[in-house]
Amino acid sequence: MNCKLIAEQIDDFLDGELAAAESQRLETHVSTCASCEAIITKERELRDMLRDYGESTMPRADAAFFDRSIAIAAQTGTRRQRNRWVMTGFGGAVAAAMALWIVSGVFFSAPSITESTVPSVTMTLEQPQTLNLVFASAEVLENATMTVFLPEGVEVAGFAGQREITWMTSLDEGRNILPLTLIATSPVGGELLANLQHEDDDKTFRLQVTII
Amino acid sequence: MGPLDHSQRASFDALIKPHLDRLYRLSFRLAGNKAEAEDLFQDVLTKIFPRLDELIDIDEPGSWLCRVMYNHFIDNRRRYARQRLVSVSEDRLPGKSLEELPGNLDPVADAERLDNIMRLQRALSELSEDHRLVVLLHDSEGYKLTEIQGVTGTPVGTLKSRLHRARARLREILAADGTEYAG
Repeated sequence: MNCKLIAEQIDDFLDGELAAAESQRLETHVSTCASCEAIITKERELRDMLRDYGESTMPRADAAFFDRSIAIAAQTGTRRQRNRWVMTGFGGAVAAAMALWIVSGVFFSAPSITESTVPSVTMTLEQPQTLNLVFASAEVLENATMTVFLPEGVEVAGFAGQREITWMTSLDEGRNILPLTLIATSPVGGELLANLQHEDDDKTFRLQVTII
Repeated sequence: MGPLDHSQRASFDALIKPHLDRLYRLSFRLAGNKAEAEDLFQDVLTKIFPRLDELIDIDEPGSWLCRVMYNHFIDNRRRYARQRLVSVSEDRLPGKSLEELPGNLDPVADAERLDNIMRLQRALSELSEDHRLVVLLHDSEGYKLTEIQGVTGTPVGTLKSRLHRARARLREILAADGTEYAG
């Protein structure tokens, strides 16, 4: 076995896809060839790096997120079944709507590497704070449904004890501001979701809430 | 099917919950960041719910779900690309610059390891989408090539070739960047 053949087989060897006899021959060669040993070491290091990268960058989704996702899927999916919904892609007005979370009186905390696009807000226990949710819509949306899912320890002023609040709303073309006064009642926090539905489109916006 | 009933929801829960972690990880690898990954995850669950009857009859629901997610992502790539543009503008908000990211990781993380991760992230961003996906699914997520074929429909031979070239390109970029692997 020569070094050129080794180079061709390294990937299969390290990926565990080389036949046993071939692997044995490769290992025998590498044990006596410093050059090939160095190549294999580098290849292993790259794989270790990629594995480490995989774990280090993967955000952790908690059971509450999964439960909320299933709840939204069931709610929206059932409505689509009733309406004999036809897949039209996601080019609708709601999909085109964008949300910016503008926070008054509090500050944005910088995101971690895995949360670079989830806005976050820090709240102080028992102090009402108003978030101005700014939705930019490409067109007028009449009879849209807004549902806010609150994380544990956060309430909307006037809706004590409710973790899920739904109401009908309409959006103008352009920017629409929805003030939402929140109160942190216990130091738990988590992700706040605002789900906007219009006809057969829906979109969910997220905000990470930390309570101090 | 009619209005939502609890048995329908319970069946959906039981069938899909064992696969949620894998689906979530795939959504992150496809979309590239948490916010869009969670949108993708949500969209796919919403798309799958009306297909509950079909899901019940699937022999390997895990593979099927991943394939549905991949196809949905590819079919709606433009939508997610638009969202990425929105994300960029959001990143311009104060306190969200890339330079600030390292300080927000786990405080016990080793600085050198973190530096390597950031370099690797930059190197990965220079790969084509196809090459990045195969190397992330295979080397970071531990998929076998046959599993990636099951998700993407790309033949194993093509995947193997892409993987080989992706790793070679990563080594080139990292070497040029002066990265010492964490060996």
